[in-house]
Amino acid sequence: MYRVLIADDSPAMRSVIRRVIQLSGLEVAEFVEAGDGGEALSLLRRQGVDVILTDINMPNVNGEQLLRSMRQDNSLRRTPVIVVSTDATEQRIHRMLELGAQGYITKPFYPEALRAELERVLGVWNA
Amino acid sequence: MPESAEAGALSAATREVLETMFFTEVFGESAGPGPAPGGGLEARLHFEGQRSGDFQVVIAPGSARTIAANFLGAEDEAGIRESQVTDVACELANMICGSVLSRLAADVAFDLSHPEVTPAAGGDSGWPQGAARTFALENGSLRAAIRFE
Repeated sequence: MYRVLIADDSPAMRSVIRRVIQLSGLEVAEFVEAGDGGEALSLLRRQGVDVILTDINMPNVNGEQLLRSMRQDNSLRRTPVIVVSTDATEQRIHRMLELGAQGYITKPFYPEALRAELERVLGVWNA
Repeated sequence: MPESAEAGALSAATREVLETMFFTEVFGESAGPGPAPGGGLEARLHFEGQRSGDFQVVIAPGSARTIAANFLGAEDEAGIRESQVTDVACELANMICGSVLSRLAADVAFDLSHPEVTPAAGGDSGWPQGAARTFALENGSLRAAIRFE
């Protein structure tokens, strides 16, 4: 059973991601939600999760800053992150993967694509 | 007149976003600015990147509510709150704009401001110097427009 953190400033988008994961059949013990990267970091420092899905474009602390902070924190640097963003440019994808993201999904996405990326990342993590 | 790259990207991106994540079928499309649907919502944002500019979607009231219900998986449109309609309009604008920019310059990252949502006045002719498309949807229409600085 996995614990999943969803970081996105849009409650609607968080709801859609949560629903897609629920329908995918992935066994989720708990969803934790954050409205920006700062809130995500606070939650992560209180309770561990198995995977993070994060937007990039968020107020206060964005997805790129979240990844940088996680990379500098020994307790968080190994938590897998999947970026979910509208930015499908090579420069952005390359930058986020360099910062430590294990997966990248561009919006709009089909539910199957998100499910496949989650399974790939969690599979890698569990190997 | 041949279609501009901007108008082509606007058309393809809007259709893909509406159909993939908002489960909303496009019944028809017209080029050019055209009159904006009044009484609905306007979501506008600014983008910075290889090229900077502004992006706008104007959604007819009936369509805005249907799109929100579809996106949220709600069975009853009447149960959708206005704040949810606004939030979904922001996400829709964000997603279409990101998709347009990724199509126009696939190798250079961009930054989007948070969309601002206001009631749509309707009737204006959009941005003459930009590209615009109007899409016929269930319960109304949606106009998407982009202009570069």
